[in-house]
Amino acid sequence: MGFLNGLFRKRERSSDLARERLLTVLVHDRVKLTPDVMEQMKAELSAVIAKYVPNVDPDTIEVTLARGDSIDHLKAEVPLRRNR
Amino acid sequence: MGRVITVTSGKGGVGKTTTTANLGTALAMGGARVAVVDADIGLRNLDIVMGLENRIVFDLVDVIEGRARLKQALIKDKRFPDLCLLPAAQTRDKDAVSHDDMVALTNQLRAEFDYVLIDSPAGIESGFRNAIAGADEVLIVTTPEVSAVRDADRIIGLTEAFEKGHPRLVLNRVKTRMMKAGEMMSIEDVLQILAIDLVGVVPDDEMIVTSTNRGEVAVMDKSSRAGKAFVDIARRVRGEQVPFMALDEGGGVFDRLFGMFGRRPRGSER
Repeated sequence: MGFLNGLFRKRERSSDLARERLLTVLVHDRVKLTPDVMEQMKAELSAVIAKYVPNVDPDTIEVTLARGDSIDHLKAEVPLRRNR
Repeated sequence: MGRVITVTSGKGGVGKTTTTANLGTALAMGGARVAVVDADIGLRNLDIVMGLENRIVFDLVDVIEGRARLKQALIKDKRFPDLCLLPAAQTRDKDAVSHDDMVALTNQLRAEFDYVLIDSPAGIESGFRNAIAGADEVLIVTTPEVSAVRDADRIIGLTEAFEKGHPRLVLNRVKTRMMKAGEMMSIEDVLQILAIDLVGVVPDDEMIVTSTNRGEVAVMDKSSRAGKAFVDIARRVRGEQVPFMALDEGGGVFDRLFGMFGRRPRGSER
């Protein structure tokens, strides 16, 4: 029974939350990027991209740190407007 | 030449001093010559945990500043003839000691003892850096809580940056019942997050409080579960292969750890 409960209520277990929160915060800790520095980097990246790619709205660019299985990624998502 | 092992954690209150006292005593009970050093200058603690607080004449800073010879400052534990304590100064602060002082001191101790255990202060400042200055290896103590694990990760990074090799982990105050219910991070969770080798798992044990009240260390009490875990850690530090013990009859969270050794605890349900 305990096993079944564990399966269906997995998301509610506080240990899973603890693990997920830790893994996320450690990605940031390990690259030593504070939210301030992330914002600054995003602003600079947006400026550079806007300079070379006209059909980008700089406000839509997202820069995030993402946890991978073996390596972590610094991800920049840059949506392009579809104009011909 | 002896081995210098620093016990550290980042976060305070996770059991560094208890680990140092128990590991040192267990190694001495096994016949090794052991010196335990309180490197938390200004916050002397290891002496009272070991029941040696009434015997201090000189301290670590007295030795470094030349007011006492090392032999004069070392307190022999009368219960274990091969166990000595070098207490921290209580009225000075961490600035009384330099990196080079600690390297010189540990070299002197290494010549006289098989194991030199350094009880590090919490934090990542100079006190911690001094505590690992002369270390051949580092043991990290943490508990399965987000704050302690986060700090442990930071300390592991610093230890590796100071080229002290790969530290090993003591997972302290494990509450098996909560782990089984999924309300405490599992041993595997912590090991996976920290990407570190395990040297021991210590169950949360109220008897630690009782024995510390008396100035006795848990390894002296054969009925103490935490004491047994520290004896196992001492054996692993000596290089023995010791299976990780089940913390209760059910096995459970430990099955996979036992699996690593190709055996299961007796009486395991699954």
